Formats: sequence, structure tokens, C-alpha cells
Amino acid sequence: MAASINNATSATDLETVENLTDMKQIQDAYLKLCKDEEELSKDLDNLLENQTTLEDKMIGLHKTLPNLQILQTDSKQLCSMVTFTSTLAENVSSKVRQLDLAKSRVTACMQRVEDILDLKFCTDGVQAALQNEDYETAAGHIHRFRSLDENVLKLSSDMNQGTSLDTSFKHLHEAEEKMKTIVHNKFDASVQARDVASIERFFKIFPLLDLHEEGLTKFGKYLAAKLSEDADKRLILVLKGTDSTDRRSNVLFADAITQLFEDVARIIEIHQPLVEAKYGSGRLITLLKIIQKECDRQSRKILGEFKSKRDFDSRLQHVQQSLIFHKQLTVEKLDPKDLDVLLSEVVLLNTRTELYLRFLKRRAFGDLETAFQDEDKRKEKEAEVDKVLQSCDLSRLLQEIIGSYITMEEYFMREMVLKAVVMDSTDSGSQTSSMVDDSFFIVKKCVRRAMSSSSVDGVCAMINHACTILEQDFREVLFNRVRAGFPSGFDLTQAYNIVQSSIQQGKLQSSDIEKTKAQFLTTLNNAEVSSEYSKALKSNLEEEVLKLFAQCNEQSIAKLESCLSDLGAVANKFKDVLEFGFSQLTSSVIKPKIKPQIDAFLSTSHNISEEEFSNYEANDPWVQNFIVVLDSMLGSFKESLTGTNYDKFVSLVTGECTMQLEKSVMKSVFNRLGGLQFDKELRVLVAYLTTVTTWTIRDKFARLTQMATILNLEKVNEILDYWGPNSGPLTWRLTPAEVRQVLSLRVDFRSDEIKWLKL
Amino acid sequence: MEDYKYLFKIVLIGDAGVGKTCLVRRFTQGLFPPGQAATIGVDFMIKTVEINGERVKLQIWDTAGQEKFRSITQSYYRAANALILVYDVCSQATFDSLPQWISDIESFAKHKVLAYLVGNKIDQINSKEVPTYIGKQWADRFEMRFLETSAKDAENVDILFYDIAVELTKDAREKDKLESDCSGFNISPNTKTINRCTACFKF
Repeated sequence: MAASINNATSATDLETVENLTDMKQIQDAYLKLCKDEEELSKDLDNLLENQTTLEDKMIGLHKTLPNLQILQTDSKQLCSMVTFTSTLAENVSSKVRQLDLAKSRVTACMQRVEDILDLKFCTDGVQAALQNEDYETAAGHIHRFRSLDENVLKLSSDMNQGTSLDTSFKHLHEAEEKMKTIVHNKFDASVQARDVASIERFFKIFPLLDLHEEGLTKFGKYLAAKLSEDADKRLILVLKGTDSTDRRSNVLFADAITQLFEDVARIIEIHQPLVEAKYGSGRLITLLKIIQKECDRQSRKILGEFKSKRDFDSRLQHVQQSLIFHKQLTVEKLDPKDLDVLLSEVVLLNTRTELYLRFLKRRAFGDLETAFQDEDKRKEKEAEVDKVLQSCDLSRLLQEIIGSYITMEEYFMREMVLKAVVMDSTDSGSQTSSMVDDSFFIVKKCVRRAMSSSSVDGVCAMINHACTILEQDFREVLFNRVRAGFPSGFDLTQAYNIVQSSIQQGKLQSSDIEKTKAQFLTTLNNAEVSSEYSKALKSNLEEEVLKLFAQCNEQSIAKLESCLSDLGAVANKFKDVLEFGFSQLTSSVIKPKIKPQIDAFLSTSHNISEEEFSNYEANDPWVQNFIVVLDSMLGSFKESLTGTNYDKFVSLVTGECTMQLEKSVMKSVFNRLGGLQFDKELRVLVAYLTTVTTWTIRDKFARLTQMATILNLEKVNEILDYWGPNSGPLTWRLTPAEVRQVLSLRVDFRSDEIKWLKL
Repeated sequence: MEDYKYLFKIVLIGDAGVGKTCLVRRFTQGLFPPGQAATIGVDFMIKTVEINGERVKLQIWDTAGQEKFRSITQSYYRAANALILVYDVCSQATFDSLPQWISDIESFAKHKVLAYLVGNKIDQINSKEVPTYIGKQWADRFEMRFLETSAKDAENVDILFYDIAVELTKDAREKDKLESDCSGFNISPNTKTINRCTACFKF
């Protein structure tokens, strides 16, 4: 109840106040009212304060009011003025348009009058010029007249002086026809008379009569005839001059075709500016086509002579037969050396041709570039040029020749490599035999020769063939020699000494077995060197190819690179042979040699008394002897193997030692002194091996060293000083299980103690 | 860019004008260029496909069919992982020269190379000269796979190349597995199963 009354009081309703009876409530109500009064008067004060600012603002507004009225009237005025101006402008501009139209009509009219005057002038001029045999002027008049719009002129003239215009036109048409015949005749006559000046004179007139194609064709034919004459004369000279003593006689036909190309190039060089000036650009291709046809004819002749004089076809046939009857020895083989000179001339022929065709292409493209701004149109024309050049007789002939060349070059390369293999010999003091250097020299020579032909496909094909020969034929030879294995003799140490000394003395008069051994090691070296050579060959050729074929398109470069990368992969095939060879060596030499020594370790007790321990110190039980054996074995191979191969050999020996020793340790038992003994032995062994290698072998012995550490412990628990968080820089190569296993080798360690160990 | 698991070389061979270039262009660029000029020497294109989630790069060598380029084109056979021998189903002559091609494959290519016999131009139904079953018989005789295609209508073209890619990938994986087994690593045995359904191809 009281609460609701309180609420009512807060509303300050007078009636409620009057109804109040309780003193406390009255007091509350009073306080509340006082507070309300206070707030109200505060509000009133605030409002009164604002009154002045509001009044100021009102005054300001009153002041601006008249200004606004002025503004409004001004705006209205401005608006009407703008409207007025715009109408005015509209009117003016329409008049200007009218004027403009009138002016253009006047101009057209003047133009027409001028044309008519021109026509008159031309008509008169042509007659006079023709009479004076001033053909340039006459053609100039006709050209001018041809540029006039005949129909329009006739239209405008119908009304007044139609007849005279008609006669003018008639005269001019007649004159044009006459000019055409004259130019044709005169040109032919000049060609007959070999009057170069007149030929060029009339050649320039053709385009004025709009006879571009005819002019170019006639001129082209004339140039072609000239070319043919010169070329024929030269070919006769060439054929006469097949004097074998001449320095250039080996490349006679390459020289001949080069001269032909130079002639063509000169003709184009001289006449291109003339054609472009008088016929406009974009027309060179017409001339090129005609001249190229003659060049094709001449090239065919030269190449025909080349083939017959060099016995090209018969040699090719011979090679093809040798390839088909590969295995039949009855067929007499062509000596590859006979091909050497021929092949060099072929590549020269091709590279000159490529150079020439590139020249033509560059010229034609340059001409098109100035003629066609439109990209698509130009591309289309360029494609036409490409097609013309690719399908011309000359290209086809060379494609055939390159095809035959590849067959012969491959034959040359294979036969020469086989020859190198047959003639294989080992020089004294050399770790490899002659066939490696010889074969790689031949392969490189052949691929480089193919490169000098500038034919991308030719180079790619030869690189492919080089891969085949190295990867199949040559690798097969090495592989077969390695597969024969390394014979294990009775007294190995002696055998190695003989091999070594015989190699040093350069004579191999010792027994067959020694020869086989020497050959095996040489083959290993051959394989290693071949692998390196392959890589070098690839990178050398790559460098040269990218330089020589830098201007080729992306596609060609990609092709070359793909073939080259295959060549690089050949190195791995030789690596495989090498791996195989070393596995042979491991099983026939390393294992049998190390096994007895490890057995000696096994038979040496490592559960020893103090007395035995000191006895061992004086009379080493096995490790010294082991080192002597290892040293003699390594020493015997050091001279015969290449550096890389020797390192590989040492690494294999070390690997075998550690593996065998590890196994044997696991089979032995140790006491504290035995562990100490083993640790000593291991240190001696590691110290020795460190002296014979260039790389660190400690890593290989890590597991064994750790085993020795374990076997050397005082107590089982001591291992924890080295294990886990206490291992410090040491990385454990042994698993916890292995650690327990090694610990259990100690006879004095209790097995349950080992079992409870927390690893 | 060079992000792929395997690289395979596929070489197309066959008489001039049977449509080798068109097959390659259809597959690599998805277009059929009418009036294709004779290929000069050897051309090559690259397309990377995805086979069971692995990127496989196909290097496709398109050789010229003309006799004069034979010595160049033959040099590519040995490095090929797969060979596609193409003839024109509308030209008995191109089919008749197959024996020569087969003997070339035998003399130059790797032993047991994956070989496909393909009869192209089956869109020209009315002028077909070599019946399908004859082509199939031939392929069986020389242990080749067989397919009839149309580069113009894109029929069987993708199937041809994808089938080759799948087969080569399968071989390569088995070889990888064999090698890793030899070197002492064990790969879980379930990697061997290879799904060969064509629906799995991702284009």
C-alpha cells in the first residue's frame, strides 16, 4: 500500500497532497516538491539564456530578407537572358551550316571545273607527248585522267558542252590503249636489245597505267632470264673446275649455290627500292615468286650435278644396304671415312640455303610491314610468304638432301664409334681406355656438324641418334665387359700387385686373368668418365645450340631442348653400369677379403682378464692385421681407379667393414676390459681409414662408436648420462631396443637391470 | 610450371595426309584446322592431364608422313613411351603401308613399347574403305590397341590420349613401386589399385 502512495506523491498531484495524513509522507512530498521546483527554475534559466541568441538570429534573418528578394529578380533576369542568347546562337549556327554547305558545293564545283580543265590539258598533253615519244609525260597524263571520276564529269557536262567532253574521253581512252601497247612493245624490245636503261624506264611506266602485275611479271621474267644466263655460265665453269687440287674443291657445289643465292640477293637488294617507290609496298612478293622460280630451276641443276659428281645417291644406297643387312658380314661395308667430306659439304649446302631463305623472308616481311597496318591482313600475307618459301622447290630439294644426310651421318657416327671400340687400347698410366675419348669425340663431331647445317630437325635427329648410340651401342659394350665380372683369383694380394705393376709398366704380359681384371677396372673407369662426358657433352652442345639457333622460334628451341635433355639423361645409364660394376666388385673382392678378418675378430675373445688385456696390448690380436690387409687392398686399387671411383671403392669397403663388424659385435660377449679393448681397436681402425680418405668416415662408424661407448660403461645406469636429455651434441643412431641389446652383450651386466632401464 | 609427376613421350606416325597433325591439334588445342599443310620434319605439342589426381605431362611428337623425312622421324621412335600408328579409313593405300610402319617400329622403337593402331577420318562414313573389323584384326595380330577416331568430330580423340596416359601412368607407378621395394622402403599395398574407368578423368 505504502509504495503505491509514494508513487502517487512523486506525481505531485495536489489532490493527493491534500489527502496526505501521515507526517512522514507529507515531509517526503514536500522534499520532492522542493526538488522539482529547483529543477524547473534551472530549466527556466536555461531557456532565458537562449532567448538572446534566438533573438539575434531572428534579427539576422530579417536583415537578409530584402537581399533574397533582389537575388530572385536577378536570377529571373539572367534566365531570360540565357534563353535569348541560346536562340540567337541557334540562329547563327544554322546560318553558318548553310554557308558551309554552300562553300563545299563551291569547292566541289571548282574541283570539277579544274578536273575538266585537267581533262582538256591531258587530252592535249597526251597527244603532244605521244608525238614526242615522251612516254613518261603521256603516262602521267593518263594516270591523272584515270584518277578522275569519269561518270561524275559526264553527268555535270551533259547540259552544256557534252560533245567536246565525250571526244576528250574518247581520245584519252584511245591514248591509254595505245600507251599500253607501246609500253608492252617497247619493254620487250628493250629486253631484246638488253638496254637496261630503257627497261627500267618502261618498268616505271607500267604502274602509271595501272598495270602493276603485268609490269612486275615482265620485269621479273627479265631478271630471271638474266639470272639464268649468269648461272648457266657459272655452272659450266664450276664443272670444268673440278680440279681436286683446289682448296675449295671439296665444297665446290656449296660455293656454286652460294654464288647463285648471292646473285638473287643482289637483284633483290638493287630492285626492291625501285619497286617500292614506283609500285608501292606490298608487291615485292610478286617479284620474289618469279625470281624464286628461276632460282629453284638453277638450284635443281646445281644440286643435280652435286649428286652425280659426288656419287651421292649411290653412297646413300650403299649406306642403306649396310643398315638393312646389319648383321650379314658378307656385305661389303662402306668405309665411313669416305663420307666425311661429303657430309661436310651437305651441311654447308643446307646452311647456305637456310640463310638465303631467311633473307628472302626478312625482305618480304619488311615490305609487308610498311604495306599493311592491319594486323590480321598482314598475318595472312605473311602466312602466304611462309608458304611460298616452304613449298618452293629449293626447300623441298634440301629437305630430301637433309633426310639422306641424317641417314649417312648416323651411319658415319655408328661405324666410327664401333671402330673406336674395336681399336680400343689402354695407354700406360691411363686409367681409361681410348674408346671413351674417341667415341665421345666422334659423337660430338657429328652432332656439331649437324648443327652447322642450321637445320633444327636435322640437329634434333642427330642428338636423338647420339643418345641411341651412347645409350645402346656404347653402353652395351661397357655393360658386357662389366658383366663378365671381376675374376677372384687364389692369391688376391699378389694378383693385384701384378695388375698394378703391369699397368705401371705399360705391358700386360701377365696371365689372362690379370688382363681381365685390369680390363674390368678400366671399364669401371670408362663408365664413370662416360657419365661425366655425357653431362659435359650435353651442356656444351646446349650452349652452342642456344647461341646458333637463338633467332629460331620458341617451338624449335623447345624441340632442341627436349632432345638435349634426353642426352643429359644418358649420364644416368652409365651410372647404372657403374653401380652394377661396383656390386660385382663388392661380391667378388670386398666381401671375400673382409670376411676372414671379421672372423678373426669373432674368434678373439672380448671377455678377458687383466693379464690378457695387457697381453693384447703387446700382441695385437686382429686389428693390426686387418689394417694391413685393408691397406694392401686399397693400395692395389688406388692406382687403377679414377679419383671418383677410388673414393667410391673406399666407401664400399668402409660400408662393408662397418656392416660386418656390427653383426659380429652382436654375436660376441664382452666384459668391462673386453669393452675397453674393443673401443681401442675401433679407434685404431677409424684412425687408419681417416688417413686413406679425403672425406670424413666418422659418420659411417657412428653406430659402431656408440656401441663401443655402451660396451665401455662401468654400470648399466651410466647409460643415462648419455641418453635422452643428457645426450648433448650426440645423436644416437641406435634405437632403445638396440641399446638394450648391446648392453646385454656385457656378461657382467644384469639382465633385469637392463630391462628396467628407462630409455 | 614444371609441376608434374610423370612425363611421357607419345609419337604419332603413319602415311602423309592421314590426319596426324589434326589429331594432335584436336587433343591439345581443341580445334580442327581445315586445309592443314603438310608437316615439315617434326612438330611437338604439350598437354598436361590429370590421371587419378596426379599431373601427367604428355609430350606429343607429331611427325611428318612424307618419305623424305623418314630418317628424321625415325630418330624419335626409341625415346617414345607410346607410339600411335595412324591410317585413313577412307584410303586403302594408307592401310596397305602398315607393314612397313610395323617393321620400322620393330627396328627402331623400344621393345614392347605401348602401340596404338588408329583409323582416322570416320566422319566420312560414305567413303570408308577399310572396315572396322579388318583394322581390329590387324591390331590384334601385332598386339596393338585399336581405336577409330575422327579429328574433325572430336570422336574418340580424348579417349585415345587419355587411355595412353592412364596406361603409361600405371606402368610408371608399378615401376616406381618395384624400385622402392628393392631399396627397402615399404609402401602400403593399396596404392597398387588403379581405377581405370573413364569417368574419373578430370578435364
